[in-house]
Amino acid sequence: MTPERWQQISRIFKSAILLDNEARAAYVESQCGRDDSLRVEVEKLIDSHGKADADEFMHGMAAEAAAPLLTNDEASHDLLNKGQQFGSYIILDSLGSGGMGEVYLARDTRLDRTVALKVISPDISQDQRRMQRFRQEAKVVSSLNQPNILTVFEFGEVDGLNFLATEFIDGETLRDHLHNKRLKLSEIVDISIQVLAALDAAHEARIVHRDIKPENVMLRWRDGVVKVLDFGLAKLTEQKYSTLGHDSDPEAITEFRTAPGTIMGTINYMSPEQAQGGEIDERTDIWSTGVIMYEMVTGKMPFRGSTTSHTIVQILEKHPVPLTKLVKAPAELERIVLKAIAKKPGERYQAAKDMLADLRGLQRLELEAEFEQTSPLITPDEPGLPAKKKRVLVFAVVGMLLVTAAIFAVNIWRSSRSAINPSITTPAVAPVERTLTYWITVQKFKEEKPYQDPFTLAGEINFEAGYRIRVNLRSPQQGYLYILNEGPASGAPEYNIVFPTPSANKGSSLLQASQILQIPEKSWLRFDAQQGVERLWLVFSENALPELDSLKQFAGAQTRGLVTDPLRNKAIKDYLDTQISKPEVEKGETLTTVKAAGHLLVYAIKLEHH
Amino acid sequence: MAQKPPQHEITQLLAQWREGNQSALDDLYPLVYDELHRLARRYMSRERKGHTLQTTALINEAYVRLVDQKNVPWANRSHFFAISAQIMRRILIDHARRHQYAKRGGGARQVSLDEALTVVMPDQSGELLRLDEALKSLAEMDPRRSQVVELRYFGGLNNEEIAGVLRISENTVTRDWNMARAWLYQQLTGSGAN
Repeated sequence: MTPERWQQISRIFKSAILLDNEARAAYVESQCGRDDSLRVEVEKLIDSHGKADADEFMHGMAAEAAAPLLTNDEASHDLLNKGQQFGSYIILDSLGSGGMGEVYLARDTRLDRTVALKVISPDISQDQRRMQRFRQEAKVVSSLNQPNILTVFEFGEVDGLNFLATEFIDGETLRDHLHNKRLKLSEIVDISIQVLAALDAAHEARIVHRDIKPENVMLRWRDGVVKVLDFGLAKLTEQKYSTLGHDSDPEAITEFRTAPGTIMGTINYMSPEQAQGGEIDERTDIWSTGVIMYEMVTGKMPFRGSTTSHTIVQILEKHPVPLTKLVKAPAELERIVLKAIAKKPGERYQAAKDMLADLRGLQRLELEAEFEQTSPLITPDEPGLPAKKKRVLVFAVVGMLLVTAAIFAVNIWRSSRSAINPSITTPAVAPVERTLTYWITVQKFKEEKPYQDPFTLAGEINFEAGYRIRVNLRSPQQGYLYILNEGPASGAPEYNIVFPTPSANKGSSLLQASQILQIPEKSWLRFDAQQGVERLWLVFSENALPELDSLKQFAGAQTRGLVTDPLRNKAIKDYLDTQISKPEVEKGETLTTVKAAGHLLVYAIKLEHH
Repeated sequence: MAQKPPQHEITQLLAQWREGNQSALDDLYPLVYDELHRLARRYMSRERKGHTLQTTALINEAYVRLVDQKNVPWANRSHFFAISAQIMRRILIDHARRHQYAKRGGGARQVSLDEALTVVMPDQSGELLRLDEALKSLAEMDPRRSQVVELRYFGGLNNEEIAGVLRISENTVTRDWNMARAWLYQQLTGSGAN
């Protein structure tokens, strides 16, 4: 429809609907004259107007109609409400939900104490036999009275809902703790010792936890005491998975289905025997503790594939990168962790007690050495800064400021170009090439908080909203590295300098041979709302490129990486366009390696963002 | 951790945008988006049983949080509402799209237990997406009427407020709304020409 036609219809329509039926017909007739198609259009619209009224179409607001969509995100099927009486408990607040049901903060009115109330999903608690066994196990564990095991007060049933009341821990899970804080070696050892103390007591009573993971370890704020949660609960939920399969004996096997869209809990902490559906004993808990330790030390999970089956393959086959290759950590710590995650149960610690003893030994050694050691050994993630700026990828720079002064930048650029060109055109005696390997770590964020576990991807990927990423790079060669982000093409080019910055890699663009560089070091790159394909340019050069080096001034707090000078942006574009290499690209499962002849490698990673 | 957004920055951007600097809007957009999104979800979790969402109250709260009111002329308020309506539309459409995506199976991604357990909603998401498309077509023919719809339906503004934002009379707002709504209804029910 042409705008003219639209205006014509609209003019007749707006007056017509004010008239009663008879007058309206006459009015439309008179206005449309012989233009039958116009009359039809107008009549249809008037008809729609009436129907829309009758249907209450767009009555109220979009947000009302769509409200369930907003809540649907957060598993919002509360079983109980705030203020509700539930047996002798009063529900005070919702604490969250997990695979087995919902957890509430509640007041026990009989004993006048605050408890955590775990209400087990009706579909899980249906199997009476299993529920009974779970109760028994949890009771046994609780009766051990071990300070690192969460105390269970009561099992019960109200209105057909099974629940257990436990002590309430005012603290956070180890998962949250890992996101919020740097862990020092002493803290890692301390947490591990407490987890193992809990396991040791449970194992003595012949009870295997089966699902040790950071989500099941709580740290009390008040005093840092660690509590291990949910002993015995894993069996309940495993059974739930099993019913999806066709096993005659659901107890023997944890059923995995790796088809897209099927249900899967956290598998990254699962032992090889668990992943294969084999016999499970105490040594599975040792394994999982080792995996947690590895993660606490390096900030990375040792086994993490882009899909469930990749992860399982890694658990079964991959030998993780030794700790000391990733961070500065004592050799003894590495030995302990690697022993805990030996593939064969027979090669692991055979009892929590033994691992505990080794950790206590390490703790003593470290205490003795503490006077010499002042700086924290390990610096894993920090919460991402709420960096919000125009460009699609925003680089959140951590605490530094540089004066932005790019006045003669273009001139510097031009003069320095002539300086580097000779090195590129120098005839090589032997074939020269540059190699760069990269992989991308993705962390989902929900409401500014990390959500689920990070995973690693290679190559060119579709990104969803809420994804934040890190780029990891390594090369067998030493060289100068520059990373620029270019948003979806619209209008004049505009780049973001992602690396170097005044703080990352100690402010240097020089990548040492075999050094693993993680960008950003402490936060995440995030997308803004702008959609489309954008590029992450990698420039890896044998020689320093001063014009790119000087871009790091834009990484200051003011511009947050955005190159604000249009001339400079134009110069970068010209440079990238002329220098782009035609590299050999080798895509692995989680790594991509790029190779190009010459002294300079210029490559663009495409990131599709919807 | 919910960090308080940079009031000063937003206030300035709002002023720049009002003075005709379009790139200020680009900067403003993600800031306001994040805040509204956060608030919308908080509102919803508070009132999830009733499933009502008072958009106007929500935008008001965002405005109070985001904008330093001592240093801002009153006219900026209507601009803030205009951008907020646009963003609410975007938020809802994003959710609807994600919802549709999830329904289609969502490719080879891992689904957590919690996600898998969420109840599948009736086809509200599809309806909303179709409305959004129709509204885009309307904007091509008649940008003002589509804006009226956006402000009222997505932003929750009343006619008086819309009249203020668009600098038209309240009567015009009413007429625009009637026409736009009839046309959208026609598009969505498939009963119309075009």
